[in-house]
Amino acid sequence: MKAGNRQIVALDNIRAAIGFDYKNQNYTMKTNQSFGLIMIVATLVVMAVTVYLLFDYQRADRESLARAQGLDLVRLLGGMPWRELMPDHDRRGLLEVLKRGQINPDFAYAAVIDTAGAIQSEATRSGVIVPPVSIPEMPAHWLGQQIVDASSGGNRFIESHAPVFAGDEHRGFVRLGYFEPQFKLNFNQMPFLATLMLPIFLLVPLFYFLLRQEIKPLKQISERFDNLADKAGLRQVELQPSRALSDFMQQFNSYIEATQTRIESLNQEHEDLQMSSKLLTYKNNRIDTILQNFPDAIVVIDEAGEVSYANGKVGRLLGIEHQEIIGKKPREWCQDPEIVPLLTFGDVKSSMQTNQDTIRIRLDDHDEKSLQFSVYPLFVPSDESRILGRLVVVRDVSETHLMRQRQTEFISHISHELKTPLNVMAMYSESLLTEGADDAEYRIEAVNVIHDEVERLSTLINNLLAINQYELGGVVAQRKHVRMHEFLEDTFDNVTQGRGAKGLEFDLDIPREMSMVYIDKDLFRIALNNLLTNAIKYGKPGGKVKMSAQEDESSIEVIVSDDGLGIAEEDQKQIFNKFFRSADDNVRQQAGHGLGLSLARQIVQMHHGDLSLSSELGKGSRFTIKLEKVSTQIMDAAAS
Amino acid sequence: MKKILIADDEPHVLRVLKMSLEKEGYEVDTCPNGVEALARIERQAPDILITDIQMPLMTGEELCRHIEEYIPQRNFLIFVLTSRTEIEHREWSRKIQNLLFLEKPVSIRNLVEKLDDYFAGASASRRVV
Repeated sequence: MKAGNRQIVALDNIRAAIGFDYKNQNYTMKTNQSFGLIMIVATLVVMAVTVYLLFDYQRADRESLARAQGLDLVRLLGGMPWRELMPDHDRRGLLEVLKRGQINPDFAYAAVIDTAGAIQSEATRSGVIVPPVSIPEMPAHWLGQQIVDASSGGNRFIESHAPVFAGDEHRGFVRLGYFEPQFKLNFNQMPFLATLMLPIFLLVPLFYFLLRQEIKPLKQISERFDNLADKAGLRQVELQPSRALSDFMQQFNSYIEATQTRIESLNQEHEDLQMSSKLLTYKNNRIDTILQNFPDAIVVIDEAGEVSYANGKVGRLLGIEHQEIIGKKPREWCQDPEIVPLLTFGDVKSSMQTNQDTIRIRLDDHDEKSLQFSVYPLFVPSDESRILGRLVVVRDVSETHLMRQRQTEFISHISHELKTPLNVMAMYSESLLTEGADDAEYRIEAVNVIHDEVERLSTLINNLLAINQYELGGVVAQRKHVRMHEFLEDTFDNVTQGRGAKGLEFDLDIPREMSMVYIDKDLFRIALNNLLTNAIKYGKPGGKVKMSAQEDESSIEVIVSDDGLGIAEEDQKQIFNKFFRSADDNVRQQAGHGLGLSLARQIVQMHHGDLSLSSELGKGSRFTIKLEKVSTQIMDAAAS
Repeated sequence: MKKILIADDEPHVLRVLKMSLEKEGYEVDTCPNGVEALARIERQAPDILITDIQMPLMTGEELCRHIEEYIPQRNFLIFVLTSRTEIEHREWSRKIQNLLFLEKPVSIRNLVEKLDDYFAGASASRRVV
């Protein structure tokens, strides 16, 4: 994790702790910025309301004036004699006087009507027509007021009316109308209004300024918080706050101090945690690497019977990718009826035990494996009576299995090969001791057979010893400079002496002059012996066994051939395999152990040479040893 | 005359056994492998079968299993000549009745005694595992 991220994490913790709502911060800032604007708008509203109230007051004042004045005047005029109200042709009427003398700007009209409602006398403001009106008949209501609509135009009048008498006789009514005052802006009063509004308006910036002064520390705190997001440097806010704020600031600063300490300790803890987390990851990776590279397949099965861990070797041994089996029960991914019971566990008791079993499985046509399943219970460390699951280790024991099999086969072969001649010797010697002793011909046969079997046993034992040494890596060719001609001649004579029983003809054809070779004489003699005894054994009676040699610039070839049984083509591929013997009856008639040719080839290969065969069934076999002269010369140089 | 069939891939063994047993008054037939032995048994069952284990074409073990499977009612005794002494190498014969092991090297005298005993009925049902 990067350092920056770590700080932000710490910061978020602090914000959470102090209830700082990160998301509302922008909103708060915007409110602060438009605060002045809102104040101006509010002020304007206040001013508008003030103006409205002022005008409305004036209107109400005028209306009540019109009502009071109207009522006063009609009562006064009603008390006048009827004729006083009528205008003369040379004098202005009373109503005209009234109109002219009226100072109320809302005055609209004054009229005298008779009881029938006809206008007898009137004085109107210009443009005003006295509206027709019905006056209540009840005398109690003759003096009164009502709102009257103008006959034309949208005006309404506040009309006061009073009865007029001539003596006791009711002659009519006097009506006095005033315009109903409407609300309207009166621009004539602008200077006055401006004078009134100015102080109100001036209050706004003053108030705003004072407020800003008070808000300033809070703003700085807010800015500090903003900075926290970038730098995560918590510092105490150093300001000269007003007295009201100083307590808050003090508390805030001590809170910051505590927070700072907390962040430091959190950071420390975080670093420690990170370290131990890294260490854990490292250890975990190391263990995983070890487990993945473990030579055996490892499967961990949890209490629910599902695979909780498997290493990569599972793919090679069980034929399914290890990622695919995690979280699954063995039944879901394994079809082998022998494996499934090894991975599933019935009762608790059996699952507490360590089990081991080896089975052979066939993954595909060529790949048969021997797998050893070892199941170990995983005990809860604190409670040995409970288990967390089971560890299954699958080991490929094919090699061991094969080796053991080969070993068993080998011992089986050896004991057979050793005991067979022994058996023959035992039977013949026993028969010599008893009934066969009298028959001279039988005695000769028996002795010959026993001699042959001794020879066979001796060769076998020599070959076995050589093979044993060779396989243990114990044979180091004891190379010496050997005169090839003499060596071949000597070996040939040794083998062929006294072997003329089948009427075989022996032919040795080697150049008189041959290069010195650098070989292990004893081992090479065993190889040649095996080739020659085979040629004698499988040669046809009266046939020919020949050993020849030839040399050119680069190599020496030694050829052992016969004109006997020959080797069938299908047997030729296996003829050099250990213990291989042809199933041919003619071959089986002869004593043999299937080791000679295998050993001969190994010995020739030790000398960096090659042993090859060409043969035809019924016509004989021809074995060729080819030695490269270069290799023997290099050996030569190295030795000298 | 009691008939004995010997199966072994060693001609010398066949020869000396045939000679010795014929002298004891048995009629002896020999063959070099299991396949031939089985063919002869099917043609005419012997009174005794003596077989080696390691033989070409069909081993002694395979021969015995075949006999057990295809001639379940057989009443002749089988002698198996073996080079091995360990019990596990005789495990395969556990279910085969009337079968005796003879360990190599075989003593002819010993064999003759066993045959005589068998035919005398003294050990007709003895079985060695």
